[in-house]
Amino acid sequence: MSEYQRTHPDWDVPSVEVIGLTKTYPGGVEAVRGIDFTVGAGEVFGLLGPNGAGKSTTIGMLTTTIAPTGGTARLAGHDVVTDPLAARAVSSVVFQEAVVDRALTGRRNLELHARLWGVAPLVARGLITDLADAFGLADILTRPVGSYSGGQRRRLEIARALVSEPHVLFLDEPTVGLDTRIRYELLDLIGGLRSRTGMTTVLTTHYLDEAERLCDRIAIVHEGRIVALDRPSVLLARLGEEIVELRVDRDPDGALAAMRTRGVADGAAFAVGATLTVPITRHTARETIAAIADLGIEPDTLTTRKPTLDDVYLQLTGSRIAA
Amino acid sequence: MSVITADPKSAVARPARPVSRPSPLTAWAALTGRRLALSAHTPREILAPLVTPILFALVIAPALATMIPTSGPGGVDYRTFVIVGTVGLLIPLTCAFAGIGVIVDRTTGARRELLAAPVRRGLIVAGNLTVAVLTSALQISVLMLAGWARGSAFDVSASGVVWFVVAVFVFTVFMYSVAEILANRMPTQEEYVGLVPVVAILPWFLAGSLFRITALPVGLAGIARVLPTTHVLALLRYGILDRNGDGLHDIWGFTNTTVDATLSMLVLVAWATLLVAGSMRIFHRAAVN
Repeated sequence: MSEYQRTHPDWDVPSVEVIGLTKTYPGGVEAVRGIDFTVGAGEVFGLLGPNGAGKSTTIGMLTTTIAPTGGTARLAGHDVVTDPLAARAVSSVVFQEAVVDRALTGRRNLELHARLWGVAPLVARGLITDLADAFGLADILTRPVGSYSGGQRRRLEIARALVSEPHVLFLDEPTVGLDTRIRYELLDLIGGLRSRTGMTTVLTTHYLDEAERLCDRIAIVHEGRIVALDRPSVLLARLGEEIVELRVDRDPDGALAAMRTRGVADGAAFAVGATLTVPITRHTARETIAAIADLGIEPDTLTTRKPTLDDVYLQLTGSRIAA
Repeated sequence: MSVITADPKSAVARPARPVSRPSPLTAWAALTGRRLALSAHTPREILAPLVTPILFALVIAPALATMIPTSGPGGVDYRTFVIVGTVGLLIPLTCAFAGIGVIVDRTTGARRELLAAPVRRGLIVAGNLTVAVLTSALQISVLMLAGWARGSAFDVSASGVVWFVVAVFVFTVFMYSVAEILANRMPTQEEYVGLVPVVAILPWFLAGSLFRITALPVGLAGIARVLPTTHVLALLRYGILDRNGDGLHDIWGFTNTTVDATLSMLVLVAWATLLVAGSMRIFHRAAVN
């Protein structure tokens, strides 16, 4: 049982339950190396990691477009391997790349989704009208999707996924490749989904702000494994309220060891290359900087700032999410 | 930076709609409708495929017939002989072009959306196949009507039409399955298009489309007897042109025409069954990693 479930004992069947899921592609590439997580009903859950971490493969397995090598996964109690039709019936997915019929109109794309997910035509008509209004698509719904801008197409794909009112919505890198303005518009839109439907959302992203802004909990994925899983605030709390980041070209490991010996840094501090990251936990920033100077460490640069999820990722994996 | 802190507990999923799945028939109809819309969403896409059969019926077949003014093989009108032979070209080309749609779906289209739908994935192939059958039927109808208008003499009977229609259907299923397999195996549209002449056109020259297969060198005639195109052309002519079944006798050498026709139909059905099974298998393997 996850920490989240322990703190929410009234949750029943998890919307998503993943146990020991693995995927090894032909040729021996281990994309997912045994991951476990549970997502409760109504939760927004993020899989955060750099490209190649195994996020999209995980989504592929959960949406039954990639066959797992091992482990089990269930959507609303339906096993994705032994009962894939039921698993697909309770879910929808917005893929990382554009997956639409460009020659067809936006409305036709939405109608097709409704029919394939068994939505009654009258119900579908009402839902499509509502979604088109809510997503700012009403004026372009009769145009072929090939004439849409990237942002319009993305909004259409999200609207399409909602036409079937899924229990679980998968968003695989929903804002990748979009310009900043459209990306923030989409984030508002995705953030509003919860209040609209109360459905469970599983989101993959390598954008830290996206994960922090949208997700109730985040699983940090690194080389096919989950290296941390918790609420963003809890993950950030690992590094305290503030960190000191200093660049030490000469013997950074020695400098870190010295800081630890003197109590300037604790076990949460870490070095990656010449950069030392020191969470400020026992002293003020001013005291920490003064203590570093007293140790005779002469950093090339020294800054204090609030920790980010990238720092958490860096601490856990030794590399940054955002290259 | 804003952080959504709402407790998920307060928004427990309450789907407005009970979970449902479409019936296989509804899903098949939706997928067929989709493919039809993609194949025929402009007048050009509807009319262009009809140009070839009309051209064959009104111009090419009569022109060839003037080169061979005597009555054709088996005592039939050569113009009509060629028009029926054209079916063996139209269906493979129609199916080959339908295969391009499969590649477009895979590379830039909605295939993954379809794969994520709660429908049996074989229905995706079935929907495409249905449209290939409908398109072929339309083209062949136009060809036959144009040929009839131009003076071709068909020997129409109820049983003959049944042989004709069933043979067209089974052959289309076979050819579409070939196209589906190639479309899922070829990494790019360019490579796929490069194979079309080999798969769709080359067999036509050997299959008795313009002349009886007995006119071929012995080795090539042996190859022709194995080709599904040879069997379908012999069956089509037996159905609406050559009730003596000369084309069938050229393949089997028996004296009973019904036996010959049944054997050729069985060959076609066997090919079609084999290829449908293969296309489904390859589609699944290509679609799900």
